[in-house]
This record gives sequence, structure tokens and C-alpha cells, in this order.
Amino acid sequence: MLHILLDSLAMIALCYVMGFLFRGFYRQFNARLQRRWGPSIWQNFYDNLKFLLKSETLIHGPMFFFGPIIIAAGAITTVLFIPFLKDSIWLQGVSAHGNLILIIYLLVVGPLGNALAVGSSGNPFGVMGVTRGLTRLMGLEVPFFLGLALVMLQHETASVQAIMAAQDSIAHWNLITNPLAFAVILLPFIASQNGSPFDVVGAPVEVYAGPRVEFGGRLLGVLMTQNMMMTVAKLVLMVDLFLGGASNIFELIAKAFALFLLTTAISATFPRLKTEQTVDFFWTVPLGVAVLGVILNVWLI
Amino acid sequence: MEFSASPIWFIALPMLAAFSSPLWVRWRVLDQLLLGIPLGLLLLALGLFATVQQAPLIETIVIAPPLGIHLHLDSAALLLVALFCFAVTLVAAFLWHGATETHLRGRQPFVLILLLLAGGNGLVLTGDLFNLYVFLEIAGISAYVLTAVRDDRPALAAGLKYLIIGSVAGVFFLLAVVLIYLQTGQLNMAAVAQAFAEIPPAMQGLIAVLALIGLGIKSELFPFNFWVPDVYRGSDPAITALFSGLLVKAFLFVLVHLAVLIWIDPEIARIWLMTLGALTLMVAELAALRQDEMRRMLAYSSLGQIGLILLAFGFLHESTAAGAFFHLISHTLAKLLLFLVAALLLRRVLSLHLDALTGAGRVYPLTVGLFVVGALCILGLPPLSGFMSKLWILQGFAAAQTFWPIALILVAALIEAGYYFRWIRVLYAPAAASAVTDSKTSKTAPESWATYAPLLLLVGLMLLLGIAPFVIEGALVDAARALLDRDLLIQSVLGVAAQ
Amino acid sequence: MTTNRPLLLKLLFLAVSLTPTLTLLTWDGAWVWPLFGEFELLFQLEPLAAFFLLLLALGAPLVALPMARGTPDVPTYALFVLLLLGMQVLLLAGDFIGLFIGWEIMTWSSYLLLIRSTRATLEGAQTYILFNLASAFLLLAGLLVFYSATGDFQIAALTEASTAQRWAVFVLLGLAFLVKVGVLPLHRWIPLGYDQAPDLFSAVLAGLISKMGVYGLLLLPTLFPDALAGLAGRWLNGPTAGYGLAWIGAITAIVATFKAISQQDIKRLLAYSSIAQLGYVLTALGVGSSLAVGGAILQTLVHTLVKLLLFITFAGIILQTGQRRFNDLGHLIDRMPVAFFAVLIGIIGLAGMPPLPGFAAKYLVFVGLIDARWLLLLAAMMLSSTAAFIYCYRLIYGPFLGHANSPEARDATEAPMSYLIPQIVLMGLLVLLGIFPGWAIEIIVDPVLTALNLAPIGAPSWGELATPYGGYDGVILMTVFGSAFVIVTALFWLARGQLRRAGSPYDLSFAGEVPTADMPLHYGAGMGRELRRIPLIGWILAHTTTGIQAGLTRQTLATAGLLGGLYRRDPQTWILLAVLVLASVPTLLLLNGGNS
Repeated sequence: MLHILLDSLAMIALCYVMGFLFRGFYRQFNARLQRRWGPSIWQNFYDNLKFLLKSETLIHGPMFFFGPIIIAAGAITTVLFIPFLKDSIWLQGVSAHGNLILIIYLLVVGPLGNALAVGSSGNPFGVMGVTRGLTRLMGLEVPFFLGLALVMLQHETASVQAIMAAQDSIAHWNLITNPLAFAVILLPFIASQNGSPFDVVGAPVEVYAGPRVEFGGRLLGVLMTQNMMMTVAKLVLMVDLFLGGASNIFELIAKAFALFLLTTAISATFPRLKTEQTVDFFWTVPLGVAVLGVILNVWLI
Repeated sequence: MEFSASPIWFIALPMLAAFSSPLWVRWRVLDQLLLGIPLGLLLLALGLFATVQQAPLIETIVIAPPLGIHLHLDSAALLLVALFCFAVTLVAAFLWHGATETHLRGRQPFVLILLLLAGGNGLVLTGDLFNLYVFLEIAGISAYVLTAVRDDRPALAAGLKYLIIGSVAGVFFLLAVVLIYLQTGQLNMAAVAQAFAEIPPAMQGLIAVLALIGLGIKSELFPFNFWVPDVYRGSDPAITALFSGLLVKAFLFVLVHLAVLIWIDPEIARIWLMTLGALTLMVAELAALRQDEMRRMLAYSSLGQIGLILLAFGFLHESTAAGAFFHLISHTLAKLLLFLVAALLLRRVLSLHLDALTGAGRVYPLTVGLFVVGALCILGLPPLSGFMSKLWILQGFAAAQTFWPIALILVAALIEAGYYFRWIRVLYAPAAASAVTDSKTSKTAPESWATYAPLLLLVGLMLLLGIAPFVIEGALVDAARALLDRDLLIQSVLGVAAQ
Repeated sequence: MTTNRPLLLKLLFLAVSLTPTLTLLTWDGAWVWPLFGEFELLFQLEPLAAFFLLLLALGAPLVALPMARGTPDVPTYALFVLLLLGMQVLLLAGDFIGLFIGWEIMTWSSYLLLIRSTRATLEGAQTYILFNLASAFLLLAGLLVFYSATGDFQIAALTEASTAQRWAVFVLLGLAFLVKVGVLPLHRWIPLGYDQAPDLFSAVLAGLISKMGVYGLLLLPTLFPDALAGLAGRWLNGPTAGYGLAWIGAITAIVATFKAISQQDIKRLLAYSSIAQLGYVLTALGVGSSLAVGGAILQTLVHTLVKLLLFITFAGIILQTGQRRFNDLGHLIDRMPVAFFAVLIGIIGLAGMPPLPGFAAKYLVFVGLIDARWLLLLAAMMLSSTAAFIYCYRLIYGPFLGHANSPEARDATEAPMSYLIPQIVLMGLLVLLGIFPGWAIEIIVDPVLTALNLAPIGAPSWGELATPYGGYDGVILMTVFGSAFVIVTALFWLARGQLRRAGSPYDLSFAGEVPTADMPLHYGAGMGRELRRIPLIGWILAHTTTGIQAGLTRQTLATAGLLGGLYRRDPQTWILLAVLVLASVPTLLLLNGGNS
């Protein structure tokens, strides 16, 4: 019991630290690309602390308050259901009691809790952002899930631990053995991280400040915390599924960072798409590749 | 032969009672007798079932050979006679307690209804072609006059139309009878059946067509039934109930009976009867879709059911024929109920038009509720008897691996549902039309339970037959056997088997 | 005495609504009722039927309770009792005649209940009854073909029939049940019927009556053993005939989901969502493996609970406000908190989110699809189930969040207790099933699977859902989420600082302006409209089957008019016709050689 508690705390802490560092790196990386100096790599940590320590928070009713809490609880639950390391008793959380499909659905708890809170605020622009978010979710989940299904079919299990264990050497990484699945998943993955070019949901220019428009103070701090944690959680999940998992923390950080670098590079390259363009894109290109993958994997083999 | 067991009573008693009506008027027992006579006959018929099951009862009164009265009471005829007596009993009960209309009280309707009963019974009982014609005219004439009995413009017009077309039918049939007599020298059906094969084929065809047209008009088959809606619309609903419940059934039986008996090749008879049945069914159901007057709608629905019954009879198969008998019974029950409901409604509202009845169900819940039950029975929905009878017919077809009638019957049922449920929906429409609430309601006192008693009895019977069809199973199967077994019939009359 | 009569009536009604429970608990053995010939009705309680009887036993009293409120409506009570009777006959029947009898009683009594609503239009009522009767007659036709092949009406495997007969039975029965579950394009009666029915009765329609179609579909594997594979072989890892069914279900789910998103009326939205949810069930049944069928059964159970909950809740809202459109409600969260929680739980179940049992059902179906290697179907299911989030969000946002958009919504109060009790019971059941998915599998799903000759799924413990593809533990999931929620809340409260409620609902970040009461701030009506710009969705939403149905009706009525015209002539015409027939028939006979 104590082990689980300590383990969980460690996972949450690791996620948080990795989260603000990665985000900070992202901001600086982007700035350098745009020939700016950019903020310090610790900037996200400072911002987050500042929000969390605000003395006054404006709320619009109980659901507005509980929404961010639900999101945070969802994020913590998600993190705990993802195994961080293989062949180790540490950083496992409760992942033995979950599976990939459960994790995919837990990832959605966040957006839905957010939607409740935003709806409660009564700001129509916020709700517009939520609708866009849900629409994007609808677009990205189809190829994303189909890609994951290819992996699950390959290993005939939905357990992340089992999939991770099966990739015992670099030749058996799913990135190598099932590159189509990775290709299918990569872009929806970026969208699920709310990364450019699929970041219209929170885009300040299109919708007046997006879903988070009404949040401030400590509630915004909670939202930011969970956002950073979820970024890392999703990266770790991808590492587990495609990069053979990690045996120790450093390997984990290295692999996750490599993946993060790849997605950041893509994000920095392409201009933003409209919501309907996003959905249409996901239903043509990644889904097309996924169908190709299905035909190759299922019908021809 | 015992006194009480003679089939002659079914004809003689109503006739005697009708002709001595002045006496009953003086003694003020018209209502009682109108109820009592058919009731007595019904009891007699019920008592005879066991006897007839052993062997048909035959009664011959020779006048001058070959003329004479020849009555043949087999299981099929008995079933129908019982049904007719029941129908008249029920209508009589309804009239006794409910009828406020003067034209439905008194001597005239008394005589006519009893004559109608006598005619109907005669039609199914007689074993002689000339007698058949006589009964056809007795039933016909009483029906014409009954149609016009209300003595107003629509009723008289309907009566006149009925008279014209009925007489034409009579002429056609009479011609057929005359031709048969000229060709065979026989009028006894069994004897004719034996001799018919020797007639030249062309003459056979002519006779068959003449008889078919004559009986087709009378039994309301498709190309000859254009008069029906007008007549049903014009006459009083309580009387129409008898037409639909009694008269048509008698003619239909005669048609099938003659076809089975006289036609040697069942294949040809089957094609003709089933085609006519199918046509009647489909055309009538489709035509009913747009009817906005309750009596006309019921008339079309009645036509459709007649088509269905003929389709099942025409298959000349024991199982479907038993089902057809059953359906004939349940249709009579349902149509009696529906027409009597129409009669009840007509006492309170000025018109039975769809628009005028909007929302009537919320004003007269019981009456309209009974309409719904009747409609459900006609549509063949369980647990009412209409379902069991249709199921019987359908399983007969299925057992014989013949599927087109099944498809046809089901499609027709769907169309039928289209208009019956449209009526039900309108009857229960949220806003009651002013016509319903304003018209005669204020003047009319609420109906007593005695008025509803016959209707509730009908509902009870429908439920009984729908839940426990085995109670009449024996009678139905016997009737089907008696109707279809040509040899048995000829043998029982003439003592020899057919070739 | 007279004052007690309504109360007695209500008590009687409630007592009768408990009959399914009583039947479920006490029925044993078989009861035979003769009909005619060699036919007889056989009543016995099979495990498959017992599952559906369980749904009925749960649903009937819960709907009856709010129905019994107010002045007693005797016809409604009587019809409801008939409906329950019909459904029990249907489920207890061991032969097709009994099944059909129950089916028909259910059909017409539900129709009569439906038209008791003041909102029922002629079109809605006619569509309802004609689709349902068409379904019933297809069933009748199918069982007559079955009879002609076997000589018997007993529900048993159809082994000795020819291929043509087997296909005829499969197609006819399949179509009959598909109409009942409302598969596209045979669905039109569902949105009309559910929308126009009395509000509480919609719960019965969606929760219980539609499940009888599922029951029928589950009978198909009984008729065609080996999960339909005997019919047309196998495709990938599942039966080919099932593959067709599964695609029908998936396409239904997708189209109905998008239709649901575009609805402006709550009950119509729920109706389309029912169609979509039963589409999942159909897909799962098509797979036919024990995992997928288990998922289908669980999904059926969850859908029943969820739809009962949602329809009863919205019936309460409509009762209190008189409004049923998204843009006429809003911000009821403060005034109707119980209803808010009911709808929240309902949409979580509807969306299939963990930890509620909707997720367990979806998990089984997904795993079943992966196991059958039908991945394209999996993608289709995923599409409709994520798109479902959008309508789920509308369901909670439109009535409960945002701004109150009508005077009624502004001063509504919580629905009466008789509405709240069923809501609370159903919420409790959903949460319990979510925490203990293994229990649901063990107690409810496995007996049905065994009865269908499928391997039971089994569960290591009450909390755990286990499949060959891995599983999850509902208790742990709920514990983790619950503790995280409590800890975060606690930390938030313990930390320094204060919360302040916004002074007015118009105190918003509104692009630098201050919104006023006459600004359209409630986004309920427009939500999802922008989806039309996505080509696929735009295409789906632009097409309906209304035109086909209207055209068919028009053609039938035109034919009817034509034929009706024949009947309005004068006697001369009739006689002429008779004579013409007389003249023509012998001529024809003579021309043919006169040898007839």
C-alpha cells in the first residue's frame, strides 16, 4: 500500500517536472526558430506557481469550480494507469489493473470535465471553443484508435505492460515492426497534445481566448498543472507503445524527449488548420493510411 | 327423425313468425320475439352440432318432382346457420334496448329482419338450385326494403340501387339455373353435380360465368361490388351490420359451395376463386384508404375481408377452409361490433364523417374504445379472434408451401392498418371538434348498460375465440371437411359415390 | 370511500407494474396452452428471456412510479398493464406464435398509449404504427416460412431447411427486428414516436420496447447456430452474414449520431441517440463471439438504464418548465441539481466513459472486434462513439449550463419526488455496475452467453473485467479517481486564498464588452451547427428518408383514389360491367378452344 502511494507520488512528481521542463523547452525552441530569445526554461514552473498561489479566484457556480478538479483528478488517474518503466516495480502506478483502451478513454476525461466547467461559466465563446475541441476529438480519435488497434492486434492484447514487454530489443520496437501504425498515430497524437497545426481550439485569434477564457487564479493553475502532466503522460504512452518502453528514468526521459522533439518540429513547420479542415484531414490522410495498414495487416497477412 | 331436429325449423320458424306479425303487434311481443326466435334457433343449432357431426341431416319435401324442397344440414351449413342466428339475436338485442329511431321499431323491421334470417338460413341449407334462387330473392327483397326502411332520401336511393343491382344478379343466377335444368334435367344439387360433367364444355363455361356473376354481385366480389359502399352508407348501421355479418356470408358460402360441388376440376375453380378473392381484397383495401365516412370505410373493409375469406376458401384446402370459416365468424363478430358502434355514434353525432368525429374518443370513451377493439380484431391483432383466424389461414398456406397469398394477405393487412389506425388516431385527436361536443349530446341521455351489453358480449366472444380457439376447432374442421368433400355430399344425398 | 378510490387505483397500478419482477422471481417450469390443431403455446423462462425480463422488472416500476402521479388516468394505466402483459408473453414464449402474440399486443397497446399524448400528430402516429406493424408482419411471414420448413413453431435451430428457406427466414426475421431497433433507413418511426409520445412513456419506448428488438436479434443465433456462420461461411475471424449486420449497425450508429447532434429538441436527440446505441449492439451481435455478444448484452443493459434515467429526468424537466428545446432552457443546474446529476451520470453512461458500465460494454465490443480482426468496423464504432460526446455535451449544456433562456427555465424547481426516486435508483445502479463490472459479467451476462452456446467471459473478482486481451478493475479505477478528486479538492481548500462567486451571470470576459440580458449568450441551439462544414457530415445531414416515405404514401393514396373512383358510378355502369364480363369470358373461353 505504502509502495503504491510512494510510487504514485513519484510518478506524479516526475510527470510534473518533465512537464514544465518540456514545455519550457518548447517555448524556447519556438522562440529560437522565430529568432527571439524566448523565456527561460523554468518559465512554466514560475507561471504555474504564480497561478496556484493567487489569493482570489472568481467562479461561476459549483460546476465551474469542480470542472478543473475533475480534469486534474482525471489527469492523475491517467498518469497512474500508464506504466512508466518496464521490468521494474517502480513507476508502475496501478497500470496492472488497466489497459490501453481504458487509458484512451481516460485521456478524454480531461476535455469533458473542461467542457462542463466552461459550459457552466456561461461564456458563449468558451462553449464555442469546447465544441471545436470535441469536434477535433471526433476527428482525431478515429485514426488514433485505429492505429492503436493495429498495435493491439499485432500483440493480441490491450495491456500496455504486455505490449511493452514484447519489444525486447530495438529490432522489435513497434516503430520498426509496425511503422504504419506509428505513421497513422503521429499526427492525431500531436492534435491530442493540442499542438500546432491542430491547435485552433484554444487559438486566441479565432475564438476570443478559447475554452479557458473564464478561468483565472488558482483554477487556471490547476488546469495548467494537469496540462503539463498530460503532455508527459501521452508522450510516455507513445514511448511504451512504439519505442520499446524504458528500463530506467533516463532512458525514459531520453526517448520521451526525442519524441517530443519530433512533434515539436512538425508543429513548428505547419500553419494552423481550421476545425473542419482538421477533421477532414484526419479522415482522409491518417485514416487512409490506417485503412491501408488494416488491409496490409489483416486482409493480406 | 325427431321433431326438434329438422333443419326446416331454421327457415320455417322465422317465416311463420314474420307472416303472423299482426298477432304479435296486438300482443305487444314484437321485441321479445325478434330476440327470442333467433335465440331459440341459435340454441337449437348449438344442440345439433353433435348430431350433425355423425351424419348430415336431410329433409326433403316433395312438391312435384323434380321440384321440391330439399334441405341439407351438414356441419358447414350448421356453423353458418348458428352464426346467422347469433347475429340476428345480437342485433335484435341491440335494437330492443337501444333503438330510439322509430323506423327500427315496430312491425316492418320485425318482418324484414326475420325474413332476412329465413333467407340466409335457406341459402346455406338448401340442396336444390331452384330453392336457392327463391331464397336468394327472399333474402334479397328483404334486404332491399331494409335498406330503404329509414324512408329518407339517401336510404331510398340506396334501396333503389340495391334493388336494381340485386335484381340483375337474380336474373343472371336464374339464367344459370335454367340452363342447368335444360341441360341436365336436374335441380337437386347433388344430382346436378353428377350430371354436370356431361354438359358440353362451352355450355359449362357459360353457366359458370352466369352463376359467378350473379353470385359475385350478391357476395360483393371485386368487379361486381361497386354498389356496396353506397348501400352500406345509405342504410341504417344496425341493418348494415346484418348485411355484412349475415347476408354476404350466406352468398359467399353458396358461391364456394356450388364451385366445389359442380366443378369437377378443382384446379380451375381454385384459380377463379383465388383470383377473385385476391383482387377483391387488394382493391377494396386500397380504396378504403381515402374514405372519410365511417360507414363507407367499414363497407370497403368488409369487402376486403370477404376477399380474404374467398381467397382462403378458394384454395380448396381443408386447413385454409377451416381458417376461412373461422375468419368468417370473427369477421362477423367484429363487423357487428363496428357497425353497432357506428349506430351508437350516429345517435349522438350528426355525421359519421372523419372531420366530425375528431376527438370523439375523449367524449365517448367507451363507445370509441369498442370501435378500437373491433378494429384490432379486423386487423387480426392478438389476443382477439381475428388474429387466430388469420393465423389459421396463413399457416394453412404455409403448410402447403404456397407463399403468394401470405404476402398478399400481409400487405393487405398493412394497408388496412393504414386506414383503421388513421381513424383511431382521429377519434382520439387531442382537440374535440365542435361537431362532436355540440351536436346531440346535450339532448341525449347517456346510454344504459343494457345498450352496451350486446357489444360487450361480442368483445367477450372475440377474446374467448382469440385466446381459446380450440373451443370451436372441432366445428370448424368438420365444416371445412363437409364443404370440401364433394363425394361425401353426393353420397349422403343420393346414396352413391360420384364418379 | 370515494376519496380513497384514486389512491387504491394507483396502488393497484404500482402493484401490477411489479408483475415482471414477480414473474422473474417465481416462474419455473413450462406452461402449455393449446390453440388449435397441433399448435400450442409454450411458456417457459429461458436465460436469454430472463435477462430481458430483468430489464422489464427494473424499468416497469420505475416508470410506473412517476406515471402514478396526479389524477389517475385509468385508460393509460390499463394500456400500460396490457403492454407489460404483452412484453411478458413475448419473453416467456417458447414458440414463435406466443412471441408474435406478445409482440403484437405490445405494438398496439404502445400505439394507443402513444396517441394519448396531446403532441402526437397524425403523421407521427401513422408512422409509428405502420412501421411497427410492418415489422410484425415481416416477423409473421418469417415464422410462417420457418413453419413451412420445420412443420413446427418451436423456437429451435433451423437445421433441416434448404438454403433458400434459411435465407428467407434470416432476412424476414432480421428485417422485422431491425425495424424494431430502428436501423437506418427503417428508423423514421423512432424520432417521431419518441418525440411525440407522452414524456414518461418515451422512457418505456426507448428503454424497454426497443429492447424487444434486441431480444429478437439475439434469437437469430439460436435459429442459426455457430453465430450465423452456418449461413454464409466466415470472413476474417467472424461470420460473413454477421459482417453485413455489423456494418448495418455501424453505419446506423454513425448517421444517427450526426442526426442526433443536429437536433433542436431534447427528446428527438435522445431518440436518435437510441438508434445509434442500438447500432453498437447490432455491430456487436454481428461479430457473434462471446466477447462481443457479452458486450452487446451489457450495452443493452446500460442503454436501458441510461435511457430510462434520461427520459424520466427530462420528463421531469418538461413537467416543470413546459419546454423541450435546447434554446428554451438553460442554467437549470442551480434549480434542479438532482436532475443535473442524473443527466451527468446519464451522459457518462451514454458516452461510454469510464468508470460507468457503458465503458465496460464498449470495451468488450472493441476487444471483440479486434479479436475478429474487423478493424474497419472498429474505426466506424470509434467515430460514432466519439461523435457521441458532442450530443452528450449538448444534453448537459443546453438545459443545465449556460444562461436561462425562457421565463420557465428561470423559475423552475426540482421535479416531484416520484420523478426523483427513479432517477436516484437508476443513478445508483449505474454507478454500482460501473464499480463492479465483473459482477455484472458474472451474474447477468454469463448466463445468457451460456444459453447462447458461447463461452462465458467470467470474472476473477466482482470489480474486475477480464478478457484474453487484458482487462481493468472498476474498484481500483473508482478508488484512484475518487482519491485524486478528494485530494485535489482538499489541497485546493487548504491552500491560501479565497473563492468569490461572480456577481451576475453577465460578468464575463466578453471581448472587452459587457454583455446584457438581451444578448444571445446561450449557445445551446447553435451547438454542432458548424459540423455541417465537414464534408462527410454535411452530406449525411443533407439527406433524409422522409422523401421516400412521403413518396410511397403519395403513390399509395393516388392508387387508392383511382380505385375509389370505380366505386362512385351509377347502377347502369355496374350492370354494364357485369354484362361485359359475361360477354367477354365465354368469348375468351371459346377462343381458347372451349375445353375448360
